[in-house]
Amino acid sequence: MNLEQNKNYCNEKKFSEFFLNQSKNLNNYIYYKCGNLELAKDIVQDAFLKFWNNCEKVIPGKAKSYLYTIANNIFLNEFAKSTVVLKFKSHKTPDITNQNPEYLMEEKQFGDKLQNAISKLTEAQRIAFLMNRIDGKKYAEIAEILDISVKGVEKRIHGALVSLRKTIGNI
Amino acid sequence: MKQNYFLAKWLNGELSEEQLLQHISQEEIDVYKKIANTANQFEAPDYNVESEYDAVLAKKSATKIKRLNSNFVKYTFRIAAMVAIIIVSYYYFSNTKTIYATKFAEKTSFELPDQSKVFLNASSEISFSEKKWKKNRNLDLMGEAYFSVKKGSKFTVNTAIGSVAVLGTKFNVVVRDQFFEVQCFEGLVSATFLGKTAKIPAGNSLRVLNSKIEFLENKAETNPSWLKNNSTFESMPFSYVIKELERQFNVKVVYNSAIASTLFTGTFTHTDLDLALKAVSIPLNLNYTIKKDTVILQKNEN
Repeated sequence: MNLEQNKNYCNEKKFSEFFLNQSKNLNNYIYYKCGNLELAKDIVQDAFLKFWNNCEKVIPGKAKSYLYTIANNIFLNEFAKSTVVLKFKSHKTPDITNQNPEYLMEEKQFGDKLQNAISKLTEAQRIAFLMNRIDGKKYAEIAEILDISVKGVEKRIHGALVSLRKTIGNI
Repeated sequence: MKQNYFLAKWLNGELSEEQLLQHISQEEIDVYKKIANTANQFEAPDYNVESEYDAVLAKKSATKIKRLNSNFVKYTFRIAAMVAIIIVSYYYFSNTKTIYATKFAEKTSFELPDQSKVFLNASSEISFSEKKWKKNRNLDLMGEAYFSVKKGSKFTVNTAIGSVAVLGTKFNVVVRDQFFEVQCFEGLVSATFLGKTAKIPAGNSLRVLNSKIEFLENKAETNPSWLKNNSTFESMPFSYVIKELERQFNVKVVYNSAIASTLFTGTFTHTDLDLALKAVSIPLNLNYTIKKDTVILQKNEN
């Protein structure tokens, strides 16, 4: 139908597809930074709004990195960093070999300890670690989004694991 | 020596547990495994893509109102909103017509009952009867609108100066004082003015300025530039160009009436007032000064 519009994000169909593909991941990313879901959703909305208002400037292929740049800037400009507390729900994987209530309690406690330990990571380590573990992103994609090298991603993930083990071991 | 982030490589599947034992103890490996697996089971935060998208669209319409922050403006908007509610109620009870209207510096878009898309430029209004749509496909336009008509659909756009009959197409209609223009981008439209009818195929436009009729060719455009936040003019009187600038930025422009009928060809952007003013003043050798929301254009003395 609208063939001539396909390259331009000012077209509502293209914009809504872009929103569909990117919004959840962007929301996760901002959430991992600040631990505040309402704030994250707000920033995501504002980022897409600013993206739309500058839609003519968007270069196809660079749309995602432009979006993340906008979101990062909004985050930095408008919201002070306070203590980060992240909470996650867990998939309930039925472990048929061990339904022992003590075991389940221990699993839950470990989950809570891990959540707290994640909140204490540096922002850089936390974001990379969660994008890999929860979003399932490979190091190459994380590197692209954060605008660093794959080696840089490895450094953060390695650092995150060491830090988490130390924090959990100390409790 | 190159840094070896062996934990990251292990997590990624590039190193085996046996290889890890070269660096750390089995006890530590077990902790890392537990960390990795537990974190893997965490769920991402709840996010409803559709309702978030609706929120973005809502913010888009509200954005222009948010930018004006003073108490006086808030007060004025409250009054305007009350008046708008009264007017809308009046229309609802007496006319049962559907009306879409834009103010200065505002654009909007909506769908007609046949799913044709309409984009309204600033300071414009469209009204039609939704109930009578099946029998009577007429709508009234004041200002400027771009129509993307569903294939196979027919309706008529009426304006104070002329009317346009549509045959499944994409076209733009402008009607401002003494100026009526129909640009066809796809398909065919038929425009009527003073009892005369002309067919306008894609890539062409009909223009009526002060009762003089002209046919022009569009320059391989696919849709009007105002949709992309630019206003483009070809040999239009300067007074029209300025009036459109006033509409897009909600400012008042003062200039010497001697240049009102000077013909202008060019484009100005809707996103930056300074750039827009440069675009209209430089070709006519003018300077501009901005005082609050009034712009003064003066001849360049250099």
